[in-house]
Amino acid sequence: MSISGNYFAGVDVGSLAAKSVILKDGEIFATGLVPSGVNSVESGLNALNLALETAGLQKEDLTYIVGTGYGRVSAPYANKAVTEITCHAKGTNYLHPSVRTIIDMGGQDCKAIRIDQDGAVVDFAMNDKCAAGTGRFLEVMAGVFKVKLEDLGAIALSATDTVPMSSTCTVFAESETISLVARGEKPENILNGIHHSIANRIAGLFSRVGIESDVFFSGGVAKNSGMKAAIEQALKVTIVKPEIDPQLIGALGAAVIARNFSKKEGLWA
Amino acid sequence: MGKQLFRYSEENKERFLDSENITFNDGSVVTPEEIWHYLTVEAPVKYPSAFEINLYQGNRGSRDETLPTSLKTRYLGLTFSARMERAKDNGKSIAFIQGGQAVDPYTAADTIALRPGLVNQWNNGLEYGNDINKENLRRKKSKEKAFHDMSFEACQTGGYEHVQAGNLRIDVIAPYTVLRCSDVSYGVEAHRHGPNKDVKLLNVDFPLRNQADKPWAIEYFAKNLRRLVQTLDEVTGRTTTEGDLLQAIKLHNEGRRLGTELAELWWSADIPPTNSDDRASLVSLGNLETHGDVQASLSVLKEAKKFIAERVKNGVKGHAVIDNPKRLFILGSCVGINGSRSEDAGAIVVGRDDQWSHCSSLVEEEGDPYYNLAKTTLEYPYEQGIEKRAQWTIEQIKKSRADGVIFIHNWGCNTQAAISRPIVDIIKRETGIPTYIHERDLHGLRDEQEQNRVNAFIEML
Repeated sequence: MSISGNYFAGVDVGSLAAKSVILKDGEIFATGLVPSGVNSVESGLNALNLALETAGLQKEDLTYIVGTGYGRVSAPYANKAVTEITCHAKGTNYLHPSVRTIIDMGGQDCKAIRIDQDGAVVDFAMNDKCAAGTGRFLEVMAGVFKVKLEDLGAIALSATDTVPMSSTCTVFAESETISLVARGEKPENILNGIHHSIANRIAGLFSRVGIESDVFFSGGVAKNSGMKAAIEQALKVTIVKPEIDPQLIGALGAAVIARNFSKKEGLWA
Repeated sequence: MGKQLFRYSEENKERFLDSENITFNDGSVVTPEEIWHYLTVEAPVKYPSAFEINLYQGNRGSRDETLPTSLKTRYLGLTFSARMERAKDNGKSIAFIQGGQAVDPYTAADTIALRPGLVNQWNNGLEYGNDINKENLRRKKSKEKAFHDMSFEACQTGGYEHVQAGNLRIDVIAPYTVLRCSDVSYGVEAHRHGPNKDVKLLNVDFPLRNQADKPWAIEYFAKNLRRLVQTLDEVTGRTTTEGDLLQAIKLHNEGRRLGTELAELWWSADIPPTNSDDRASLVSLGNLETHGDVQASLSVLKEAKKFIAERVKNGVKGHAVIDNPKRLFILGSCVGINGSRSEDAGAIVVGRDDQWSHCSSLVEEEGDPYYNLAKTTLEYPYEQGIEKRAQWTIEQIKKSRADGVIFIHNWGCNTQAAISRPIVDIIKRETGIPTYIHERDLHGLRDEQEQNRVNAFIEML
């Protein structure tokens, strides 16, 4: 493959996965997604190297790299660090310019973000510091029911009832779930209740920042069909269908920002 | 492996030595030469945590080496514990206070008034040689102990855990039961245990909000202030006269005037003359209480005003301040954001509402000093109802030319948590300035979760 043009990369190191996107001439050229380890520098580099390998590029071929996610504070490979809130806004705007509201659910937090026509953040709210309502919460629940994380949504959608959950703490919710199972509640109905409980927490965040159409759902949890359905019901909206893996949106936004920064810094015309 | 420590550069020594002495309440004086020696030789050994170069914790206030008063506030902070111990050895009375009040009556009654944060600082300074991690572990330990002893979580409970545990020689607990800290004040009363459980207690009763226009409320509170001074006199064995209180009011008014002038000078500058932490430490001197020594605070404040005026005139930028930072005004109580990390993200803190409220409230000097002090206290803008407090805050936001507002409050601070939303809604409605509300985790570390939210807000601006 001939190396020409300008390449820009975004690397998003989250608590559960590290993601990277390389842009060439304004188009997505390659992506990488790997599980995060305890070493966030290594996780980010693994994701970046995977994308580079797919693209047939070397790191030196990249004009500018922006790091985001919780691993951004230790990303020596990046030229700049930007928070994932800004990156999700830019990434979503790049793919879906009509979107004005974003729900981002990652491994350790969830965010309600409102953006303008240029993808600039207008307002945002995030969950409290605990893991309730996040990917980690769902991961724990998948463990309780001994099912695959990616199957949780479909199981919840097969429910015939919604069992209310009283706990918002991940650890307490786990013990409550065990009690509900012991009481004879069906797993799919409990899981449906869990999805609705999380969706209601998210709806609470939007009472602060407001909702404007179109609405987009990004982050790893956006791949969960049960969660998508529960959020659509709680917010009374239809979520825009993603053009790429929604887990990559933060990294994509970082790559878009990399492109903008390098232009601003005169690295390309 | 040892942590890397910040050291003051010798090239700035001469300028520092040309600055003024600090004069203390007891008439003692410390020279710039002695301060320099302390900051460069003694303190890094005693308190390495204060000098540790750490990107994520600590602050870079006082590292503005060409601003002598920045170093002096650091000196006063680092010597605080030793000075309180010395004050006790010399028979000085020390009161634990809370409630956001000005400390004029305590000064009049020859008593050092310490809020929970300062009580913690006193206790922290008793142990030497800790790096930031060890220091934070120690603080968390006392907070956990307080939580278990007192059965509720609120800000600064560690402060009176130290009092109850007998770690510190506090003579009297005398908070105002002002609404914003009422739960904590009742906590002090309800949870008395340990070797110091019989320490004298007076809850200065404070009429609830929106009573400043009612003479009965002013008179009621004035009576409570008299009770406070009588209680302090019972501890010291002296008799405080109305003349003493008037003198204290005059002294504190001087501090309040200087603090206000310093803040307005800072706001008038096109280029921020100090970083966030230095601004806060210098402006807060106006209340003359931060370092447990009214005269020391006043002498540094007077000099600080001169230096800041010089910087504003010459367009000198504060240490580590970036070009055209986004200007943040911080609301809430007792806590603020991490100034250094927020500067790294492109912002600067230009003001806070909390103690600024009483710094900018002068007390009438003619007439009954108790009545005057009571009236001013009831009129503190910060303690007013939501609409009134919001309107005052909007004025401060405009004066400081803030680009954004963050309302931050401690977990467990029920009053601030409840009013944060309506206050920022009014601000947003009337100014159009972006706002953000954040609840601070109680363990006291400025962690990644919080900074992530603050940085996202700064990027949004």
